[in-house]
Amino acid sequence: MKGKSKFLPAALAACLAVSAALPAAAADLVIAMPNWPSGQATANILKEGIARKFGLNAEVKELGTLNAFVGFEAGTVDIQPEVWRPNFEDVVRKYVTDKGVGRLTERSVPAWQGLCATPEAAKSIKTVADLSDPEKTKVLDTDGDGKGEMWIGAQTWLSTGIERVRAAGYGYGESLTLFEAEEEVAMAAVDAAVATGRPMVFYCYAPHHVFELHQIIRIDEPPHDAATWKILPPNDPLWVSKSSASTAWEAAHFQIAYATAFGKKHPDVAKFLEKVDFSPEEVTKMSYALEVERQTPADFAKKWAEDNAARIDGWAKP
Amino acid sequence: MTDTPDTKYPDRSRPGARRLGIGLIAAALCLGPLAALAQTQIYDARTKKWVDYDKKKARQYFARNNQVPEAFRRQAVPFRTAEKPGTIIIDGNQHFLYLVQPGGQAIRYGIGVGREGFGWAGIVRVGRTAEWPTWTPPAEMVARDPNAAKWAAGMPGGPDNPLGARALYLYEGDQDTIYRIHGTVEPWTIGLDVSSGCIRMNNDDIVDLHSRVEIGAKVIVLMQGAALYKGV
Repeated sequence: MKGKSKFLPAALAACLAVSAALPAAAADLVIAMPNWPSGQATANILKEGIARKFGLNAEVKELGTLNAFVGFEAGTVDIQPEVWRPNFEDVVRKYVTDKGVGRLTERSVPAWQGLCATPEAAKSIKTVADLSDPEKTKVLDTDGDGKGEMWIGAQTWLSTGIERVRAAGYGYGESLTLFEAEEEVAMAAVDAAVATGRPMVFYCYAPHHVFELHQIIRIDEPPHDAATWKILPPNDPLWVSKSSASTAWEAAHFQIAYATAFGKKHPDVAKFLEKVDFSPEEVTKMSYALEVERQTPADFAKKWAEDNAARIDGWAKP
Repeated sequence: MTDTPDTKYPDRSRPGARRLGIGLIAAALCLGPLAALAQTQIYDARTKKWVDYDKKKARQYFARNNQVPEAFRRQAVPFRTAEKPGTIIIDGNQHFLYLVQPGGQAIRYGIGVGREGFGWAGIVRVGRTAEWPTWTPPAEMVARDPNAAKWAAGMPGGPDNPLGARALYLYEGDQDTIYRIHGTVEPWTIGLDVSSGCIRMNNDDIVDLHSRVEIGAKVIVLMQGAALYKGV
């Protein structure tokens, strides 16, 4: 037993070392894959496209955005398919502007975040001002206290704290009970509300498959005015109460990022990345395909690449 | 804005922190004395209006029809969702439990829920199931109720057992939350908010659900209704 127990870990370690080395040895580049569906789809589409046009084998590796930029600097990551801005402005400043270890493509996909309503809610709640009217929001009451409820995001999202700031800024924090819960709970709640024709108001963002799944209406807000937004860094425990915001979110967008060193080594691939031009509608469809149709990112990407071969050819043209 | 290692605004993979924080406290209230709180409304398809449905109406309706109103009877309904077939979604406000089916459909069951005893929302899973489960009254109930005291060691399953014909035990990870979806000996309470109870269903319905559900099935308890959140 003693010999066996000694031998096994050694053998196992040897096996692990070999298997761990395999992907790195086989891959020509590493694409970071974030944990949201459109990012997963895009990571795999880029892998397919690069393999087809440049004969390079990419390893798709699950990594958050910050870790991808850290990987750019360390030389362990080459591409990040979806960098959301302004959310990651600090990271972009550090790794792109200051250190110069990463680059962002010129093209970007416009994104949006704000407040949404199911069709039943949208009958009486059309603007953010309506949310401050208890007479209008009482239809959102689901717990019998006479006060409506609204989901504002998951506990861990940075945006959730900002939604709380906005609720205070606009004033509807007084007339509504604000919920935080996992996104899956909130989206299932939207499903149930739509299925039974009940009103519901919630934080939302686009591109997102919920807009494919249901008829969702965006609630009107005054356009973003930077002068009305004073958001403190969240490392202050009281940042929510010290911050203020009373207009719409700034228009967001996301871009592909790649390591500067990778761009120098493979300028043709870097040019290819510069030409990738997904529309918001396409990104929504990616999200729908993965989340609702349950296609795997790899399978979806293979099919997408087959169906869009000419498009990929266009991206690869010098 | 600043960020954390994987903060986008929407990052779908991270488990919520809330979940069952108050679950164990509230669980002791399961299956206590009944007291309907008269918050339910049902949709009258004839008048196309939502009408109040309280304890009195529920008893009257059940006495007349020997079944619950149509809304709370088991039925296939259109239900578009990103959740995969086999997932259970519980809407405490409307007293519906959905079992997601392929093709944009769900089987919808009527449920009774506890306003006082079900103060959470979140994602759990079916950890185990039981046929004609044993009911063990909580210690507080044993202390105050002589009828419960005689079952302190556990009431065997059977037609008089308050857990009814089947029970689905809800787990968070590998831990029993002490919440159950179970049958009932009081079928008229389906569609009501009672001051106690986990999630109760008619025995026929829980038998049907039990036959369709798999161990490990995802269960989403919605934030709607049942005084779920106190506001955070």
